[in-house]
Amino acid sequence: MAFLGQEEQIREFQDRFRYLYAIVFIALGILVSRMVFLQILQGDRMREWSEKNRIKRVKVAAPRGMIFDRNKTLLIDNRPAFDLEIIPQYLRESKQTQQVVARLSKLIHMPEAEILEILERARSQPSFMPVKIKTDLTRDEVAKVESWRIDMPGVEVRQEIKRTNVYGEIASHLLGYIGEINSSELPLVNKGAIKYELGDSIGKFGLEQRLENVLRGIDGEELKEVDALGRIKLDKSKGRVRGIMENKPAVPGKNLVLTLDQDLQTAANKAFGEHIGSMVAIDPRNGEILAMLSRPSFDPTEFSRGISPALWNKLLTNPNHPLRDKTLQDHYSPGSTFKIITAIAGLEEGVIDEKTTFNCTGNMRFGNRTYHCWSKHGHGNMNVVSAITQSCDVFFYKIAQKLKSVDQIAKWSMLLGLGRKTGIDLAREVPGLIPTEEWKRKRFNQPWNDGETLSVAIGQSFVLTTALQLANAYAAIANGGTLYKPHIVKQVETYEGQVIQETKPEILSRIDFPARDIALVKQGLWGVTNTPHGTAFRSGLAGMDFVGKTGTAQTIRLNPDKLYGKCETWKFSERHNALFVGFAPQENPVIAVAVIGEHGCHGSTTAAPIAQAVVKTYLQKYFPDLYGEKALAARLKNRKAGLPEPGPRKRVNEEEDIVPENNERLPPAAEPPPALPSRAFGAESAEE
Amino acid sequence: MTHSWMESPAPIDESTMRVGMYEEELKKFNWSLIILEIVLFGVGLMNLYSATGVQDKSLGLYKQQLIWFGIGMAITLLTLLVHYSLLSRVAYVIYFANLLLLVAVLVAGKATLGAKRWIGFGSFRVQPSEFMKLSLVICLAKYFENDRTVGGLGFKDLLIPALLAALPAGLIMLQPDLGTALIILLTFGTLMLFLKLRPRVILTLAVCAVVALPVVYQFGLKPYQRQRIVSFLDPMADPKGSGYNSIQSMIAVGSGQLVGKGYRKGTQSQLNFLPEHHTDFIFSVFSEEWGFVGCIILVGLYLAFMLNGMSVAYQSHDKFGILLALGIMTIFFWHIFINMGMVMGLLPIVGVPLPFMSYGGSSLMTSVVCVAILTNIANKKFMF
Repeated sequence: MAFLGQEEQIREFQDRFRYLYAIVFIALGILVSRMVFLQILQGDRMREWSEKNRIKRVKVAAPRGMIFDRNKTLLIDNRPAFDLEIIPQYLRESKQTQQVVARLSKLIHMPEAEILEILERARSQPSFMPVKIKTDLTRDEVAKVESWRIDMPGVEVRQEIKRTNVYGEIASHLLGYIGEINSSELPLVNKGAIKYELGDSIGKFGLEQRLENVLRGIDGEELKEVDALGRIKLDKSKGRVRGIMENKPAVPGKNLVLTLDQDLQTAANKAFGEHIGSMVAIDPRNGEILAMLSRPSFDPTEFSRGISPALWNKLLTNPNHPLRDKTLQDHYSPGSTFKIITAIAGLEEGVIDEKTTFNCTGNMRFGNRTYHCWSKHGHGNMNVVSAITQSCDVFFYKIAQKLKSVDQIAKWSMLLGLGRKTGIDLAREVPGLIPTEEWKRKRFNQPWNDGETLSVAIGQSFVLTTALQLANAYAAIANGGTLYKPHIVKQVETYEGQVIQETKPEILSRIDFPARDIALVKQGLWGVTNTPHGTAFRSGLAGMDFVGKTGTAQTIRLNPDKLYGKCETWKFSERHNALFVGFAPQENPVIAVAVIGEHGCHGSTTAAPIAQAVVKTYLQKYFPDLYGEKALAARLKNRKAGLPEPGPRKRVNEEEDIVPENNERLPPAAEPPPALPSRAFGAESAEE
Repeated sequence: MTHSWMESPAPIDESTMRVGMYEEELKKFNWSLIILEIVLFGVGLMNLYSATGVQDKSLGLYKQQLIWFGIGMAITLLTLLVHYSLLSRVAYVIYFANLLLLVAVLVAGKATLGAKRWIGFGSFRVQPSEFMKLSLVICLAKYFENDRTVGGLGFKDLLIPALLAALPAGLIMLQPDLGTALIILLTFGTLMLFLKLRPRVILTLAVCAVVALPVVYQFGLKPYQRQRIVSFLDPMADPKGSGYNSIQSMIAVGSGQLVGKGYRKGTQSQLNFLPEHHTDFIFSVFSEEWGFVGCIILVGLYLAFMLNGMSVAYQSHDKFGILLALGIMTIFFWHIFINMGMVMGLLPIVGVPLPFMSYGGSSLMTSVVCVAILTNIANKKFMF
């Protein structure tokens, strides 16, 4: 088929072939240089990227430290639960997201919009980080989700350890709760050394919050091989990926052993019944908190599993403030329980001694005003012991009258730890208030009115104390003058139970009381619970060597006709607060208890029985030889032989040692500020 | 260059002649291209077996590929029985028949991934655009067979050939299949340059191209095609979206390092991070598992294949044969260069398969037929 001239043309063509060869070599040369660049020069980097592609770091949550009581009874436990998470990285297209969310919504019974909203909120964080969609899946839901997982890329079920308060509401204020960290808290907590991620739990209240750094472990990491859709493959990495990444085991948090005794806690809770208020029991020998209760309460477990808005609202709007720890977040007028402080001030300042007697006629004129005793008819001649026993107001008015200044009472109050924070290892403690002349000048720009000293002497007027302060002050009197710093954490242990830190008792102040003065006060307190004239004799505390002081503090200003009226018939919010503070046994005491019953009317009938229940439980548990039922019966028998039977009292209208106060100004009421979720849990209450 | 046909064979006696001629022919038969083809296909099949072991749509497709190759070998055998000059006679018939098929694809084609590329005959599906590359080369070889222009082609000379190339390219663009259309235009351009253009023409076309480029970019390309060019220039701008394929493919190639991750141990492909790992991105599977060493061997094989193919063109002694062989080699060259360049991030992502490696019946069949024609040209050079 050759044509003429074709051969020449062919030869011409053949000349051009060298260009073609050159092009081929150059082109393949370019390709090979690219291979050198990618595979040799950039090879390590590319390999690392490909490893990071296929290896996913799976967080292994470190178990949080457990909390035990002093006898190693488990109070807060960790329980496994299942959470559903989505890793947004694997949902590249919105259509795919919609499909996955639609299916998921049916499987876990959650509205699509809600799931999408959660995903939307997590947009600020890197897309490879899992977003928690639902917590605490049921077993059924877990099974369903797992069976559909192949069609739902990025969806994962993660097993997590959930916090459980074993005893529910009991001690919930003290122990507190944990909750999921939210995006506004995140930058704040991440200032520290330990970093948090969205979805992590953090202590939000009580010890869980206060000791977050102790309780929280260090999360570990497990390396898993995944495919492009995020499905985990069988683990072939064996935890090491060419030195780039390694498995990191989780380090569990540390356990806490508290000074608390769960039996006392339960006993107090039972004794409280429907009453509102607080109770603190302290070991006077070292300041250990034996029991601490605030009523009403809440279930912390609800919080750690994500509280529902409805329940949260209910807790917030409850007029009895279940979220406040009334043992140290609220302060109250101590009422008559304060009288032993006045007695001590009188004795130590030298204005009275054991022989001093005053005649009580039922009232006392001071300046141009009449100060009433709770007993309309008067107590007659009173010395310091009988005045404490019968809670005679006039006797303490007289002390106040003899004292040079209210500062002399303040001095002894402060030495006993009243009116200032105890420094307990719990958050949001309020200081209370012990008024001084200087304080009033600063606060109201007014000089001190001597009449006010009379009110202070019986624990009214400006005086405000917390239950914790009262218990601690009585504990100091009980042990002869040593004021300990109360503490709740006995030991810090490793997760396996090895003690790594032990709290040593810390002395705040040591007062050198003459033994005689302490003996006088104790004698007076003994009378309260053990003699017919004692204000708490009818409460049946005899036989337990339990001594103490009742108190009834008014919460509103009373008009004269209400002064001696029947408290139980009044509107609840207007009723008196009932107090009882005491310790046991009288000599070498081992427990001091303070009980405040809000609007409980009578210290002797409301507060004293609660204190008694706690003390009885404690003594019988730890000293069964002395206070077991048998020993107690024997003791009571002996006592009855030597003591008169408690007869019915003759005098009328003597409900209690309620103080008819004629002050113009009411003490700043112990009205708790409204509890707000952010404020109440975020910052310390404002101080006075 | 020695031309065997010029040397007169030694006289041989009648009785041995029949057998002898047959033996002689077999001895002189140029097997090199077919051998290289089988080696390349073997590598490709082995690689495809690894790539299609993944739990996705590609699972087990290597078997399909093997069947295609078997059919291709049969066709090769048939092709060798006829002289390639037969193609010269039916060149236009082939061209227009193929063109008709392209129209049919647009009218009654099957769509996948938003593009109509296949036409079905029962369960049998073919991609006429793949065959079109070869048809065009045959057609152009025929067209220029008798061309006697001296001093390079002018505009007038280019009018009809340009139309011949533009028609299928346009139809393929409509599918849309940018990669194949590009290959057709590149093949056409290469052949024209080889045939020599007048300097004036080259200059004018170059100026036109520079001017037209932005216009084509703005109006000639579909948004996704524009996106590909943008993400080629800056793949990290959207590493999880449009830049994803390019980045993952580069990671796959690079992470193979010197000796690779081992056969069937390429994490990028086995764990599905690579898109289209059995078709257009098959090379990244190979380079991930065999590393630089494997890549050099593969490039070496392709180089040997191309040099052999080009020497077929070089040694052919008729214009049709030269142009046909050269056209075929041009197709191979651009496929290899564009595909590897794209996989390694040197070029934007265009759907161009890698000959003998990528999965695809029509593509493989075209390659096999191409090699058959080349072998035919190589072995018929002494026959008239």
